[in-house]
Amino acid sequence: MIPPKKPSEDLDRALDAVLARVIERPQLPAQFRSHLEAALVRAGDRQLREQRERLEREQRERLAELDTHYVRLRRATLGTMIGGAFAAGAVATFTLPWLKASVGSQAPLVLASAGAALGLLIGVASWLQRRGSAPSSP
Amino acid sequence: MPTASADAASRDSDIAELLRAGHRERAFAELVQRYEGKIFRLCHTLLRERTQAQDAAQESLVRIWKSLDSYDGRASLSSWIYAITRNRCLTALERRRPMESLSDAGVETQIEALQAPAAQTTNDIAPLLRELVELLPERLRRTLLLYYFEERSLSEVALMLGCPEGTVKTQLFRARAALAEQLRRRGLDDPRHWLEAAS
Repeated sequence: MIPPKKPSEDLDRALDAVLARVIERPQLPAQFRSHLEAALVRAGDRQLREQRERLEREQRERLAELDTHYVRLRRATLGTMIGGAFAAGAVATFTLPWLKASVGSQAPLVLASAGAALGLLIGVASWLQRRGSAPSSP
Repeated sequence: MPTASADAASRDSDIAELLRAGHRERAFAELVQRYEGKIFRLCHTLLRERTQAQDAAQESLVRIWKSLDSYDGRASLSSWIYAITRNRCLTALERRRPMESLSDAGVETQIEALQAPAAQTTNDIAPLLRELVELLPERLRRTLLLYYFEERSLSEVALMLGCPEGTVKTQLFRARAALAEQLRRRGLDDPRHWLEAAS
């Protein structure tokens, strides 16, 4: 046997029906789509402008970084050359008397040859090191 | 039983597929076709004002277009769309002058004080009901309106409001109970009269 329905159920059902009729769905404005398209175009323009500005800023930053690096490198090279020259002078001053005693009049030639060989060794080592650390080309 | 989110995900699988294939514009066109009305109605319900709702709906869609590449498919597309829309509406509400908030008791008092000559006749039940709906506590009002806007789909309302279906059911029950009580107090508790008046 089906139990009798409570009055509140009828009331609830009727209220549901009446609300469904009374509450009207808001209609989408007629110009909605065209306004949306205009907004999308504006947003696209702004996005492009922002992208260009970002790229330009990044490029400026990269150039400034490269410039700083280049100046630092030049200073380091100059410092190394001056330091190397002083060190070579000091070595020559201290070793020349001993070399003269050992090899006689050929001492300046031996010292110059040793210096040239050392310079060559440092150059080759530096070249090999640079070649090893250089990024591989695509 | 499939959840609302799973249903929504399967409904939008074609859009997700277009996005995966890199057809961004076609996916967006389909999305606009399917969701513009729902987005507008959600904005209209949350903001209570047509022009602001239109602006918020457009801003939401522009935002969706911009973020479409970052949609990762973890949430269903509709949940993602509605979350963006709710955020835009919240921003719009924050921009407004803070509205005076009434407690539930305050709303009750306001409903009581509603001057409604219609309470004496059933002919004006429709405007009276609309006014009573507007005076419901905000959460109940939103749920009730969206439920009837979305053709009584509990799952869609749950997705739109970002809450479980059970919560939507409870809020609907409370909203209708509050409305029925107000009508009863006005001597309009005969359902036949309501249906006649609203037809």
